[in-house]
Amino acid sequence: MLRAALKGMASRKARLVLTSLAVVLGTMFVAAAMVLTATMEKSVSGVISDAFTGVDAVVTAAEDPAAAQGNTPSATLIPAGVLDTVRGVDGVDSAEGDVSGQVNAIGADGKLVGTFAPTIGFNWNDENPGLNELRDGRAPQADDEVIVSTLFVTESGLDIGDTVTAYSYTADRVEYEIVGVFGLSGDRDSLAGETQMGFTTTAAQLLLAQGENVYMTIFVDGDASTEDIADAIGSDYRVQTGEEASEEAAQGFAAVADIMGYIFLGFGLVAVFVSVFLIINTFTIIVAQRQRELALLRAIGAGRGQVVGSVLAEAAIIGVIASILGLGLGVLLGWGLSQLVSSSFMGGLAVRLEVPPTALWALAVGIGVTVLSAVVPAVKASGVPPVAAMREAVNPPKPLRGITIAGLAVTAVGGVLVAMGLTDNLGDLGLPGFLSGVGIAFVGITLLTPILSRPLVALLGAVMSWSFSGRLGKLNAGRNPRRTAITASALMIAVALVTGIATLVSSFKETTEELTDSNLDSDLIVMGQQGANIPTFAPETLAEIKALPDVAAVGDLYGEFFGAQVDGRQTALFASEDLATSLDIFSGTVAEGSVENLPDDGLAVNESAAEDYGLALGDTVPVTFADGTETQLKVEAILDDALLTDGWWVAPAQIAHFTVPKPMQAYIQVADGADVDAVQDEVSAILADEPEVDVSNNAQFVAQQTGQLDNLLASVQILLALAIIIAIIGVVNTLVLSVLERTRELGLLRAIGMTRGQARRMITVESVIICLFGAVLGLAVGIGLGWTVQQALEEEGLTSFALPWNYIVGYLVAAVAVGLLAAIAPAARAAKLNVLNAIAYE
Amino acid sequence: MPLANPPAPQITRTRSAVTASNVWRAYGSGEAQVVALRDVSVQFASGAFTAIMGPSGSGKSTLMHCLAGLDTTDRGSVLIGDTEISGLNDKDLTKLRRDKIGFIFQQFNLLPTLTAEENILLPASIAGAKPDPDWVARIIATLDLSERLTHKPTELSGGQQQRVACARALATRPEVVFADEPTGNLDTRSSGEVLRFLRRSVDDFGQTIVMVTHDPSAAAHADRVVFLADGQIVEDLHRPTADSVIDTMRGFENRVPLAGEAR
Repeated sequence: MLRAALKGMASRKARLVLTSLAVVLGTMFVAAAMVLTATMEKSVSGVISDAFTGVDAVVTAAEDPAAAQGNTPSATLIPAGVLDTVRGVDGVDSAEGDVSGQVNAIGADGKLVGTFAPTIGFNWNDENPGLNELRDGRAPQADDEVIVSTLFVTESGLDIGDTVTAYSYTADRVEYEIVGVFGLSGDRDSLAGETQMGFTTTAAQLLLAQGENVYMTIFVDGDASTEDIADAIGSDYRVQTGEEASEEAAQGFAAVADIMGYIFLGFGLVAVFVSVFLIINTFTIIVAQRQRELALLRAIGAGRGQVVGSVLAEAAIIGVIASILGLGLGVLLGWGLSQLVSSSFMGGLAVRLEVPPTALWALAVGIGVTVLSAVVPAVKASGVPPVAAMREAVNPPKPLRGITIAGLAVTAVGGVLVAMGLTDNLGDLGLPGFLSGVGIAFVGITLLTPILSRPLVALLGAVMSWSFSGRLGKLNAGRNPRRTAITASALMIAVALVTGIATLVSSFKETTEELTDSNLDSDLIVMGQQGANIPTFAPETLAEIKALPDVAAVGDLYGEFFGAQVDGRQTALFASEDLATSLDIFSGTVAEGSVENLPDDGLAVNESAAEDYGLALGDTVPVTFADGTETQLKVEAILDDALLTDGWWVAPAQIAHFTVPKPMQAYIQVADGADVDAVQDEVSAILADEPEVDVSNNAQFVAQQTGQLDNLLASVQILLALAIIIAIIGVVNTLVLSVLERTRELGLLRAIGMTRGQARRMITVESVIICLFGAVLGLAVGIGLGWTVQQALEEEGLTSFALPWNYIVGYLVAAVAVGLLAAIAPAARAAKLNVLNAIAYE
Repeated sequence: MPLANPPAPQITRTRSAVTASNVWRAYGSGEAQVVALRDVSVQFASGAFTAIMGPSGSGKSTLMHCLAGLDTTDRGSVLIGDTEISGLNDKDLTKLRRDKIGFIFQQFNLLPTLTAEENILLPASIAGAKPDPDWVARIIATLDLSERLTHKPTELSGGQQQRVACARALATRPEVVFADEPTGNLDTRSSGEVLRFLRRSVDDFGQTIVMVTHDPSAAAHADRVVFLADGQIVEDLHRPTADSVIDTMRGFENRVPLAGEAR
């Protein structure tokens, strides 16, 4: 039987290639995801361990290292005396104190240097530069000199001899002269996209440690044990080996790579999911075509099991070959993607290819999916009665009732899972519940597509039936509802996913626009692009804006996001110099109490949050600020829940205790009759010295808010293009098989006078109808999906639902294009058929 | 005079609908070359019913395919009416088949997606033309298909399907109808119906029919039987009967016993 299967396969090479291609693509993406994750992890940890090369021990302050993240700049400090102590420990050859932290540098364009990654300031160590290599100029010798990294030169537009201004959260602007440029060993510009500035130790301490003679880290060289060092400096400090510190540092980065890996894995799984349809379809058609052959095998004594075995063997062989190929290509793709991620997001991080053992899962997935997809067709094949060998193969259309009922049931299960996933009924399992619900719903809808195909194909076909060959194409498309449906389903899934996301994005845009229009009563907005940190500007600048003659009112916003606690819970705090005005601008309303002249120990909070904390008007609650100040604040006002004003508002007097005591945003109401553009120009002039923020009008603001979403949508579309490619292959496959199956009909049509062009048109119309059918279904399902999610997120603020019309039209046009594209080869094949052979074709 | 409403003018009776002159056709090359037609010259009179007979491999199907523009000739010329078809490109050949030739196949070859009526009108639909409704109605009536027009081929018996195929072949009033073993897949009764119709279409409508068959009783319905063996015409029998056809076949089977080996 195996030999029969092999021989059968050899005689159907084209079909095998197409089916294999689907498996190859699916496996490739899964493998690529695994390789990408592992490679990025290895590359990052490689870089970090490079950075710790030659470091035998690392001393840090004993506080939680996580506190050093976020925007608390000076949580962990080691007095200079400790460095001396460490130097005195037996076995310590040398010890260097490191001062480093995030700085803001103003580039040649007046805006912050570095967009994705931060600028790191540190004390340049000329004797032991580690990975740093002087490229040009010299090391900083005076406290107003700085050496910058090569990437800094690229990003800032500044070079040796130029003056650069830098500041930090704790230090005001200082001008430095650039005296040197350094790169990293291995001819790198940066480790992970960061830009760097090296100062003298004193200058670094002034900039990053409020001028105290302290260090953030001590790097120790020598064979002294960590215990010996720890004994010498006491329990206030943590001593790790270089290796431990390197691993710890790598973990933070690895998380980022993991997220990207998961995203790619997700798209890989979508691709695999779509290929399942293709494989099922191909095997179903193969089995249908081989009905007589299989019946003959049965007639001459092959058991049912043997027939199933022969089909499954074919599937297994395809699965193995295609998966191995996919794995190989996946490794290449993973390597390529790593390069791309590295150059786009990580400043040309050196990629170290790593093929993890988990990549073998891609093999298992590819083989498993192929074989499992073939099970149903195989079992169907075994049901062919031996007598079928003796008579003309007639496949009466099977009733669709069973499949429709099953489809309704499965769709319902999927729908319930989606609903439960979205409504928090599943707790932590919400997201997996939602995702698997979507997957199950897709299967259910696929089962429903045959019954939907009849009216829809007739409708779509009606548009195409202007020529007779078009009419024949339409009839052919409606001929086998199951096949048309399953072919279209693959396209449906891909289109549904992009449409779903596009619907959410357009709903978000609509919501943002409505918010700006109805909730935000301002004409101009001062804020910065969210980068590594929250952008702020000087309070004096805010005062200048408020003082402009054509400015009627300004709502300002100060924020504390990570450093504060209310009643022991980490909570974001907000403040406004004039809370009453700000609430007006943000469409916030006071339910109880008053926000006029909020006392210094006063607090305003929205109803839901108050309820959550069990607070009522007049209650007091303990609040701890980022700088450690602990105080009791009294609830002076309860606000109605409102999108823009929910949260905890403290008095202006408390702003001093914020991590960054500067305004983040200002919302400007222009006086009646004043020219908004003119005011914008005035504000812009005032902000000339504020590198972190810009002023925009409402339309610009909306565009800024939603611009990134467009990028997101574009990325999703690119990634889902893979699934679409597989779907196209599916259409090609189905068409090629249909052409084969209808060889005799085509022969007849050609014999009685159908031209090659007409034959091509007939196949093309069939193809376009199948693709349009898939796209229409996908649009419907995608919009439904988007609507469901929007409804679920309504309370989270996604209040508007909007259809992405441009995308809907785009996908329909694309579907026609895909249909035309997919038809090229099959149509050419149909046109080229030898009429004589075709008529005699069995 | 049976031609109350003759579709084809009387003068065509006197000329050839199809003429083959010195036609050669070989397949393959070198050692493996098989010569299917050797210098065949034959004329098929307009308004006549001609059968082509011969053993398997005699070249009878090749001859029909070459005459019908489905296959190309290596040498020689084929005329359909006045049109020389050797050397026509695919597009012109297709158009010729569409406009001047009707086909009836052994396997019926109806389109399963179309109804009987749509199948009958298929060649006209492909050409984007409207066939003469009276003519079509007459054919349908003659073939007793009026009740079956809305049926799909799968809902028709073999005999009915072949009658639909006959109607399709005649609907465009082709110069000539080529029938390739039209009764090969039919029972005796249906065979009789189809053959009687072909006969009638010649007698009543002046249709020209060329039929390939291996069935002597089918050939007996023709006006003339051309016998092929080993790629050559070996016998030309006018006004055949089943018996005379069988006798002729026996005769040349004895004369050419090694037809298979000769190739």
